[in-house]
Amino acid sequence: MTEKVKVRIDGQVIAATPGQTILQAARDNDKYIPALCYMEGLSAVGACRLCMVEVSGVARLLPACTTPVQEGLAVNTSSPQLQSYRKIALELLFAERNHVCAVCVSSGHCELQTLAQEHGVTYVRYPYNFPKLEVDTTHPKFVLDHNRCILCSRCVRTCAEIEGAHVWDVAGRGIQSRLVSELKRPWGEATSCTSCGKCVQACPTGAMAEKGFGVEEMTKKPAVVGRLTSMRGGR
Amino acid sequence: MMIKDFAAFSAVREAGLAKLLPGRPRIAVGMGTCGSGNGAEAVFHAFSSEIDARGLAVQLVPVGCFGFCAEEPLVNVWVPGHPLLILHRVQPNHVDEILNGLGHDQLPPAEILLCKIEEWDHLTGHVKYGTGYADVPRWNEVPFFEGQSKIVLRNCGLINPDDIEEYIAIGGYQALYKVLIDQNPTAVIEQVKAAKLRGRGGAGFLTGSKWEFLAKAPGPEKYLICNADEGDPGAYMNRNEIESDPHSLLEGMMIAGYVTGASKGIIYVRAEYPLAILRLERAIAQARAYGVLGENVLGRGFDFDIEMVEGAGAFVCGEETALIASLENMSGRPRPRPPFPAQKGLYGKPTNINNVETWYNIAPIVSKGPAWFTETGSAKSAGTKVFSLVGKIKNSGLVEMPLGTPLARFIYDIGGGGSGGRDIKAVQTGGPSGGCIPADMFDTPVDYETLQQLGSIMGSGGMVVMDEDNCMVDVARYFIEFTHSESCGKCIPCRVGLDKSLQILNNCTLGTATHADLETLDELCRMVRDTSLCALGTSAPNPVLTSMRHFRHEFEDHIVAKRCRAGVCEDLALSPCENSCPLHMNIPRFLELYKEGRVEDAFLSVILDNPLPASTGRVCQHPCDNRCRRAAIDEPVNMRDVHRRIADEVFLSDKFEGMVARVLKQKFEPTGHQIAVVGAGPTGLTCAYYLALLGHDVTIYDSRPAAGGMLRYALPEYRLPKAVLDKEIELIERLGVKFQFNVNVGEDLTLNDVAHQYDAVFLAIGTWKEAWVYLPGTELTGVIPALPFLEAVSRDDKVPVGKNVVVIGGGNAAVDSARTARRLGADVTIVYRRERKDMPAIPEEIEAAEHEGVKFAYLAAPHRIVGDKDGRVCAIEAVRTKLGEFDTSGRRRPVPTDEVIRMKCDSVILAVGEKVDPDFCAASGLTVKENGTLEVERYSLETSRDRFYAGGDLITGASNVSNAMGIGKKAARNIHKRLMDLEHFPNLLPAFTYEMKPPETPSEFSRHVPGEVPAAQRVQSYAEVSLGLTAAAALEETFRCLRCDVRSVER
Amino acid sequence: MSLLDIDEAVVAVLEKADIVFGPLVDAQEWPEDVDVAVIEGAVSSQDDLELAQTARARSKFVIALGDCAVTGNVPSMRNGIPPAKLLERVYVEGATERPGVPTDGVPALLKQAGPLHSAIKVDLHVPGCPPKPEAILFVLGELLEGREPDLGTKLRFG
Repeated sequence: MTEKVKVRIDGQVIAATPGQTILQAARDNDKYIPALCYMEGLSAVGACRLCMVEVSGVARLLPACTTPVQEGLAVNTSSPQLQSYRKIALELLFAERNHVCAVCVSSGHCELQTLAQEHGVTYVRYPYNFPKLEVDTTHPKFVLDHNRCILCSRCVRTCAEIEGAHVWDVAGRGIQSRLVSELKRPWGEATSCTSCGKCVQACPTGAMAEKGFGVEEMTKKPAVVGRLTSMRGGR
Repeated sequence: MMIKDFAAFSAVREAGLAKLLPGRPRIAVGMGTCGSGNGAEAVFHAFSSEIDARGLAVQLVPVGCFGFCAEEPLVNVWVPGHPLLILHRVQPNHVDEILNGLGHDQLPPAEILLCKIEEWDHLTGHVKYGTGYADVPRWNEVPFFEGQSKIVLRNCGLINPDDIEEYIAIGGYQALYKVLIDQNPTAVIEQVKAAKLRGRGGAGFLTGSKWEFLAKAPGPEKYLICNADEGDPGAYMNRNEIESDPHSLLEGMMIAGYVTGASKGIIYVRAEYPLAILRLERAIAQARAYGVLGENVLGRGFDFDIEMVEGAGAFVCGEETALIASLENMSGRPRPRPPFPAQKGLYGKPTNINNVETWYNIAPIVSKGPAWFTETGSAKSAGTKVFSLVGKIKNSGLVEMPLGTPLARFIYDIGGGGSGGRDIKAVQTGGPSGGCIPADMFDTPVDYETLQQLGSIMGSGGMVVMDEDNCMVDVARYFIEFTHSESCGKCIPCRVGLDKSLQILNNCTLGTATHADLETLDELCRMVRDTSLCALGTSAPNPVLTSMRHFRHEFEDHIVAKRCRAGVCEDLALSPCENSCPLHMNIPRFLELYKEGRVEDAFLSVILDNPLPASTGRVCQHPCDNRCRRAAIDEPVNMRDVHRRIADEVFLSDKFEGMVARVLKQKFEPTGHQIAVVGAGPTGLTCAYYLALLGHDVTIYDSRPAAGGMLRYALPEYRLPKAVLDKEIELIERLGVKFQFNVNVGEDLTLNDVAHQYDAVFLAIGTWKEAWVYLPGTELTGVIPALPFLEAVSRDDKVPVGKNVVVIGGGNAAVDSARTARRLGADVTIVYRRERKDMPAIPEEIEAAEHEGVKFAYLAAPHRIVGDKDGRVCAIEAVRTKLGEFDTSGRRRPVPTDEVIRMKCDSVILAVGEKVDPDFCAASGLTVKENGTLEVERYSLETSRDRFYAGGDLITGASNVSNAMGIGKKAARNIHKRLMDLEHFPNLLPAFTYEMKPPETPSEFSRHVPGEVPAAQRVQSYAEVSLGLTAAAALEETFRCLRCDVRSVER
Repeated sequence: MSLLDIDEAVVAVLEKADIVFGPLVDAQEWPEDVDVAVIEGAVSSQDDLELAQTARARSKFVIALGDCAVTGNVPSMRNGIPPAKLLERVYVEGATERPGVPTDGVPALLKQAGPLHSAIKVDLHVPGCPPKPEAILFVLGELLEGREPDLGTKLRFG
């Protein structure tokens, strides 16, 4: 057993395993730090920036999902500035695409929707982009609705790191970034897809769903990813 | 030839020296991309064929760029035993003369001769070219090079980049050799650390420390990467460095390879740099062929190889983790650190990345030691940095300066100030994600920390200079558009935050944004800055945040006044001329109406835009001239004289009555509101005119016996005949404006009295108080302030000025006084402490004064006025000044010398400026600003007292007629809006229909300038000097307009 | 109409406030000096826009009620399609009888349907599809007590 390091999170001292990130240490100790792109069992990419925390002695904000713990680290996870920045990030996601909760299969079970509520987002102060986006229904079992995609890349990593199929990737850049299957083939024609459906379970919103569900009916089992990883010995 | 031992190395060195300093003349043509773009290829070929044709024993080689890009093509000419000459702006037709002069001790033509180099310190070696050419300035005596310190650029433009032997000749690869012989990697790393060399890619991390990490990282497989993915618009130092001196880069990498234990170097160079790629390829091949690169380097048992990879030009690949991803054939997106590349880099192996320029510092540090290196630069930032000085600057180019040099030295000394002599507004450092630093902060030292404190960055060293023609809102929008399109899309703040920022900035340039939007933008930009994943995102908001901090007023102008002063944001301006006009006259419209022969319509268009068109047609500073796009073809359209012509055709003819009736027809129904205007100068008259048109009952008070203010009492008759002014005022009076003369508001009538009688009050009393200089002798008889002097002459009072008159000052009042004194028969000298080009007076007026025999003593600061025993002026003494450092206005500050000039004179006219009467301001009870002017709300012009407005010089300090009138017009609009709660202003104009079509081809006519009475004749009288445009000339002038107001043409 | 979801509580509200305009009363014109305007629905047509502007000009406090007014919601799902094409699709291609785009008595569609705050300043947003009756009641109750309602984390979209 390796020696534990002491870390202070929002004033409370916890014991963390060296090599752990702040986010992992916090979650192990039931301390909540919001995150969208992070998923237990997948590599961390630091893309959503919701888990930014203040670390004393460091002028910059640091992402909890990729910053390793160190002995004596003191972390503040929810200062007013952090909360305000998280709110902005969430609003930006709503403004970016067409998140119409009222017609979404995941409404009520959506991580984005829940985080917005937790952060008191009652409206979006930025103008909506209203982009015209596709819904890919070519797969026999699943559907991909780009209107609801937040580009967290959890599906990309699940497919590459857990299933080993690497069907998904993000193409394009900036605001034009899009999730693509294989080389921009429709999902239903992606030959490397094993139809395992783990990407769907990993998706935090209604962007990926199983066919045949109505509004609010699609609940997901994201824990499957973490469980598989730990069963494989954490690799 | 493989170099395996020192003898072989020395032999190559000798061979190289024989090329660098051959026994015959050597001509080297600067053939970097900048030189080639300016015609260096043609020059090279001209030399080549001419040398062949004549069978001359001349060595001709290509070299890189010596840095002075504005003066390309640069050519070096060397004759054995003589200094190296640097020639600039060389064209193929100069080749003959240059070759003829060789060997005859004949210098090339003076117009292409820039400077000489007698000896050159390559830092790794020393070259003595020779002495002589006493009259030719040394290279570092040329202002552009003065103060530059060439460490990185030590070889650029002097050696042939395609020849490894020349590089070895100047001491190249010696540092590497030394390191390989010493076999003490730790010592070298310590040296680099001690030199405090910091990464030149912008982040400024200590290079030595990075090397140390890599050296300590475990494993046999390690990588070195040179980041040559230079992607900043306006920055091209890396390109130039590689094109001019590729071996220095290779040597730096190889030294690092040896001391950190890496055996592989990769140069990631952007694909858009074909010449740099070509020269690197050649350099790598030559280095391999000479045994300098590859296995068993220099016979010392060290293996190192360098590979070049072309990057496809994604800006984000400047970020090291994105660059590594790109090298691994993945899409160029950054990943979070840790792990740092030194732990887990390329293919998961320890990796070190340095910018091109960083590598160039290595060989000199190894050769000359860290102590030598830290002599240059500031305490925390040692050494130099290469900057690309571009934008609205006279001398653009690459400049290498010690870190910590103040910005002003870059901009004014080296850059020579604004291009076309314009005022510089700001400089943007660090590329698209740098910040904008305003001109009044140019004393800022350029180093990593200071720039960061100002919200900017060093970046790769781009310096984009901006002048009054740059709109800072548009600049911010442009850079966000760039970073937005280059964002990789991985993290939310950068991907969506920049997109939303761009949307808000677009709305600003359209004039549709609100104050709330600015706050949203500010908060959003801070969020993007503080939470983005990589440096692209964290620095992208810099241009917005700094522009909003330092140029907030420009944002306000866009969203409140819907104006873009620079005239860049097209949706906020009709045309550049309209935008520059303080009265916002629709200039293209009156030109077109006149062109269509509709003089009366043209007059109506003019008079509804500008109530004093004949006066302003004579005395306006015509800012429209500076903005006219026709100037790009030949000269600006003479708009001012055309509207003078239009006004004169009506005011001085029988058309007048008819036009009065037409203007009266535009008048609104009476509103019942009573408004007082205090001051019958141009501001007050303008405001009263518009208020009357809008249906209000207006009374103007003035302390003088007639209306016109400065136009009547300060402008001499020869510039503005009073008969013309009287006609304009008559029209205003016939609109219903009432005048109360000889009333001193504040004394005869208190402001409270006025407040009781009127619904609104507009104060426009102008600046009649002479600013006084504290000069010994001003109490003497014969010292006269300019305004009372001009006023007395205008009233026909006898003013005895004597035989010799000295005028102190450089503004319009000084020139008017001088010319008036000439007409009184005096010999006149204007004494001004700066140079002619610095005089604020209208240039045409200065010229006219010169023609009339007024003498000018420039660079002379009056020091005392000498009196005789009766207390009368008898002479003036002035100290000769020289030009010193640049001040924040971008002009050189006059510095006194020991030389004193004494001029005999009978009177001294003081024209050193006017100011607001402080007694009036104090008595008014209104809030006064520190500079003595009244405080008003910037856009509404309301003072601290309800229903009291102020305008003109009273709020701006002494300005000029058109500016003052512009404010009067704005005040009328605001007062009306406030009283009526309605915006009626646009309704004042009838609908004009006229041709909306630009000319198919620009007309052939050149600019017409009105004729003038000959100078000798005009000093005899006060008759008007300018004769005005003839009808034919004015008509031809209207054809010259390019119709910038037409936005789209149906085809 | 979500207002009616508060059931019998509406009576208590009516004891303290008058409903001066809306589907429940006869008024044809937005009255002057309204204390609170509760506005539902996205701003989709020229009429919507004008009504919103009038409401804003004549009301002290404007509430956007429900996801349509707060986010644009379902009405905004047409935003990817230009209005002319949209009308063509519905009234010509999709019509079973008498195809043709109606022109009389139908307000012109705006280019995009947007949330209320894209058209006017909104003082409070009450999201939900439909908004929770207790939230409506809370908001009205607070306003009647002269307090600005703080919804905290009570509400979500959808």
